[in-house]
Amino acid sequence: MLGYVAIGVPCGILCDSIGLGPLQVFLLSALFYSGAGQFMIPNMWLAGAPIASIVASVSLVNTRQMLYSAAFAPACRGAKKRLSFLFAATVTDESYGVNVSKFAEGAWSVRRALLVNVLSQSSWALSNVVGALVGNAVGVPLAIASFAMTSIFICLLVTQKVTPENLVAAGVAIVGVFACKAAGLAGPAILVGALAGVAAALLFSWARGRG
Amino acid sequence: MESMGWGDFLIVFACCAVTMLVCRTVPLFVLKGRNLPEGVERALGFIPPAAFAALVANDLLAPGMFDAGLWPAAAPLAAAGVVALVAWRTRSLLWCAVSGVASYALLMLI
Repeated sequence: MLGYVAIGVPCGILCDSIGLGPLQVFLLSALFYSGAGQFMIPNMWLAGAPIASIVASVSLVNTRQMLYSAAFAPACRGAKKRLSFLFAATVTDESYGVNVSKFAEGAWSVRRALLVNVLSQSSWALSNVVGALVGNAVGVPLAIASFAMTSIFICLLVTQKVTPENLVAAGVAIVGVFACKAAGLAGPAILVGALAGVAAALLFSWARGRG
Repeated sequence: MESMGWGDFLIVFACCAVTMLVCRTVPLFVLKGRNLPEGVERALGFIPPAAFAALVANDLLAPGMFDAGLWPAAAPLAAAGVVALVAWRTRSLLWCAVSGVASYALLMLI
């Protein structure tokens, strides 16, 4: 929970730096509710990416939630539909980890898992709003704010599992972004680079499986 | 830099929130405990490393980045190296943000 506050406040400050107000920040963090996604939006906006490219890239990163959702299906089998829906709609990377280990221990219900999610969500939303208000009052220099976002992405990248496939995915994505920029396609560079990385990693793992 | 207005905000917000909700809830009800097809699962697993690498590369690299001299482009790279080290040692988002901002500010002063 403290982790949410520690990241939520900076996230709110960064959203403020692209001119989003506290109400917008609250809507984002309460309903969209994704750490990486909420850092991506201001980051890509600052990079001058077109709206369509921002939406597509953020949605692409959202798709990892499908893995979590599928993983919780057995645990939700006996639970009411509405409860399962609310629970599934509030899963994040962090609360996924907590709830998976609790479900594995047994003696854990969907209702209690939902409570964990809702508490995390409220602390995330509140700390984001606090960040937006602080950012508004202090006025953080843009270069600093944007490097804070870069640092967050470096951390998310470094903490991925180190497998040959993931290295291929990351390496090709980097080359792809650079190539797009060199070709004058700065707007969709992130999306194209990421897709190229995923495709290359799939090809690589397929080739390894055969060889 | 232009700030993001309500119109643009609502488009991004609505689209992202809807795809997020779909990704979070649909597999739970459609699959009912069966596994995702193996290929799909594998592709989904590759998205985070590829996407985060693309975001980092977009922030740090650009063709002709050394045209204005070595240091303006090398300072962020050096700061990024510090952050990568901190990330590897602590795995903490917060420490990465703090050390990144601190080393970037220091290196820019030089």
